[in-house]
Amino acid sequence: MTATLVTDPVIDELIGICGTDNVFADRSSRVNRARVPAPFPVHRWAEHVPDVVVLPTTAEQVSEVVKLANRHRIPVVPRAGGTGLTDGAVPLRHGIVVDVKLMNRILEIDLDDRTVTVQPGINMLKLNEELQKHGVIYPDDPASYPCSLVGGRIGTSGWSLIGGRYGHTRDLVISFQIALPTGELIWVGDGGGRKVRKSSTGYQLKHLFMGHQGTLGIVTEAVLELVPRPEAEFAAFFSYPDYETAWRSTGALAKSGLATLAGVVLFDEWKLDYLRRDDEAYIPQSDDVRCVVATAMYGTTDEVRPGARRLLRIGQETGGAYLGDEISQGDWASRHDRYATPLHGRLRDGQVVPMSWHCEDASINWSKLPQMRREWHDIVARLGDRFRIFDDWGMFAYTNGAFKPWGDYLTEIDVGIWEQELDDASWDAWVTAKRDIAAVAIAHGGSISACHGACRAGEVDLVPAELGGGWDVMKKVKRVLDPLNIMNPGKYLLDQAYEGDPA
Amino acid sequence: MSSTERAQGPTGGTDDGPGTAEFVQEWRNAAYNCYSSGHKFCREVCPVMQVTRNEVHTPTAFHANVVAMEQGLLSIEDVARDYVHCTQCGACELRCPNTLYTGDFYRFRTRTVQLVKAVRALAVDQGIHQPGWQRWVEETDRQRSEPVLGEVPVSQEHVADWAAGLNLPVGGETILFCDCEGAFHRTSVPRAAAMLLKAAGVEFGLMREQWCCGGPAAEMGYTDRAREFARHNVDDWRAVGARRIIVFDPHDYITFTEDYPAWFGDDYDFEIVLFVELLAELVRDGRIQLTRPVDRTVTYHDACRLNKRKGVHAAPREILRAVPGLTFKDVDHVTQWSYCSGAGGGLPIERPDLTAEISRRRVERAADLGVDTLVSACVWSERPLTEQGGKRDDPIQVLDLLEIVALSAGLAEEPA
Repeated sequence: MTATLVTDPVIDELIGICGTDNVFADRSSRVNRARVPAPFPVHRWAEHVPDVVVLPTTAEQVSEVVKLANRHRIPVVPRAGGTGLTDGAVPLRHGIVVDVKLMNRILEIDLDDRTVTVQPGINMLKLNEELQKHGVIYPDDPASYPCSLVGGRIGTSGWSLIGGRYGHTRDLVISFQIALPTGELIWVGDGGGRKVRKSSTGYQLKHLFMGHQGTLGIVTEAVLELVPRPEAEFAAFFSYPDYETAWRSTGALAKSGLATLAGVVLFDEWKLDYLRRDDEAYIPQSDDVRCVVATAMYGTTDEVRPGARRLLRIGQETGGAYLGDEISQGDWASRHDRYATPLHGRLRDGQVVPMSWHCEDASINWSKLPQMRREWHDIVARLGDRFRIFDDWGMFAYTNGAFKPWGDYLTEIDVGIWEQELDDASWDAWVTAKRDIAAVAIAHGGSISACHGACRAGEVDLVPAELGGGWDVMKKVKRVLDPLNIMNPGKYLLDQAYEGDPA
Repeated sequence: MSSTERAQGPTGGTDDGPGTAEFVQEWRNAAYNCYSSGHKFCREVCPVMQVTRNEVHTPTAFHANVVAMEQGLLSIEDVARDYVHCTQCGACELRCPNTLYTGDFYRFRTRTVQLVKAVRALAVDQGIHQPGWQRWVEETDRQRSEPVLGEVPVSQEHVADWAAGLNLPVGGETILFCDCEGAFHRTSVPRAAAMLLKAAGVEFGLMREQWCCGGPAAEMGYTDRAREFARHNVDDWRAVGARRIIVFDPHDYITFTEDYPAWFGDDYDFEIVLFVELLAELVRDGRIQLTRPVDRTVTYHDACRLNKRKGVHAAPREILRAVPGLTFKDVDHVTQWSYCSGAGGGLPIERPDLTAEISRRRVERAADLGVDTLVSACVWSERPLTEQGGKRDDPIQVLDLLEIVALSAGLAEEPA
């Protein structure tokens, strides 16, 4: 690396802001905040190690750290759970990592107006442990539910497994406070009222600061939606003899109009093969089961009970075989933990090797799913032909719309990578494959990412193509709000916003 | 933070001390299984992480460090202090999806506790000591028991003072092993154990010369010292013809059922009996009669080494439900994966502030239930929990399960 901008006087200033106990420049603290579970070039770990880590406890401290960074022109990278599947929290230019995990307090539970106000470092499972005492929950339910944090959910504009019923992070976060790239603290929401869900006042700034991957500031406080703790949960898993039938059935289930329907998930043949590598733990099924569709409903007993009857009827009438209560309830209950394990990694000759789970996602319309799926598997197959360290772990398609679970789908292809064997050639091939995967999504009228974010190496190259004129606006916004390119510099190709600037 | 810490650049080179390469080779795949999945589901159940919120104290970091050591990014010197931040409670292992979903099939289980012990041992081998632990082990070496602060001065002379007046024999087929905290601090627990065994007609004796089990030294990385203690104890058991060892302390139970077999192999053929399981049997069979009502509202603290490390959670609950007069407000053992007293793994010696805060939170959870008593089955947990319980405006008393049972069996009087 080049000479660090973070000199001892800068560290002294940081200590002055955050306190001695919350500033870390030792090697372990920095090395352990260089990566997230996203595809990571392990052999180039050192390139991503920050110079110093701070764990602030208040919004004012965050603000002061960002102002300091502007004064000294030091990059700042925010980090919440560090569980993201794109590399928003991975530093590209070293600098200061602002780790918000110590900001994990619940500030207010408002049962009258149905909100909870929190700091960004709180985890949803932990939050719900408190909320459920009051008969309410915060229903943001990503696969990382037991470990991801509210700040990161906003930073990535996260996607929830039960978003079809309750909405996704952008729908569930009512308003939030953010430290802008120049350090000022502002509140954004729908209009100005912190607990107002719908407003027509001014620009809709909440969405601007959702999913920016740390390039537009650091969230310091958030007001979240509360919903009644569901009285009833119903999960139904169906099996199918072929993909075509399963796909049509998925569409029929999603379009049913059942208001309690939280999600429909389609697992393809590759995914089933992958899960069956561990045949003691996965649904014991005969070989003619080629695809599985999972559904779940939440609500009051009065709604869910009749809705479930209808859902079962639709599933069966469209070619699905109900897999029974035990499998349905058990597998849905383990939805966070279940579907990616490094122990399933296989070389083509069958040898078991520990592989890293990498998942590429996109938003795609229902009508395009079959074609896109073929193209994605082909890309991964060609990758595997060239390098034995890649392994196709199959695909999911989840209903993607908030409140109206039809139309488009979060699609994922999971790829195992034996990172212990990774080198420059295989890493470059991987990045190219990711770019190809993204190109397929765009070609079919979709979007590069439904839930992770599109700033990973490879697909990020196609963001300008996807956004068109919107990309120019995005660059202008970045340059206006972050004149010195302090916030997460290099991320999302946003260096382009400063092209032509004097160095 | 010292200036020397600051001066290190991220690629400033790492010195592989002796044993590092072997250590990395041994642990690289296990570490990579964690590193590569990146779930981090272990994090919010970790009692230390819940307090410090510091990513270098997570099981994820404990594994990632091995990968980073292999990459030449970190050395044992860089990370040794991080590994202090673990009570070895085992929650992370249970919450790991690799363990939960595919462990049986692949015969793999995430072994964070073993990894922590291995890193601590590597540090000691390379001369990197944590001052508190070093002192603790040296004192243990000198007195043959841990230097616990208690009413009884720690020495061989006083190691069986707790049994004064009970007329317990020495030797025999069955030995009651009394751990250091019980022997020198919370003596009411071993007394209760001995009286309950006598009341049930179980024949047992004490060791001729009991030394520390060695477990704490092993947990802190001083494996050679630990084995010396173990050697002595096993020799003492053999010398009196012992076949069965009864232990009431979960830490001893781990040491005798995991460390000793690993050190002594097939020669180690003692039956290790966990008192709480024996007690449940004795109560069930009517050999111990619980007749005196205990007018308390209690909840049970799942001892980590029983619940999370050994899967023992039913017997203590069975016993509590058999105590007349008791109102028992239970919290299930899975919820308690994320509970801890903070007293394990040497944490109270090096980071008493963290132990105190972990205990404070545990007691607060008990208070939320509206109980007056927190019952534990781990004598080590009871010191920090008692301290925190006593500090409250609405104090919560901490009793050992054996103390409660002794009360109900009419063998002890209500504590003041």
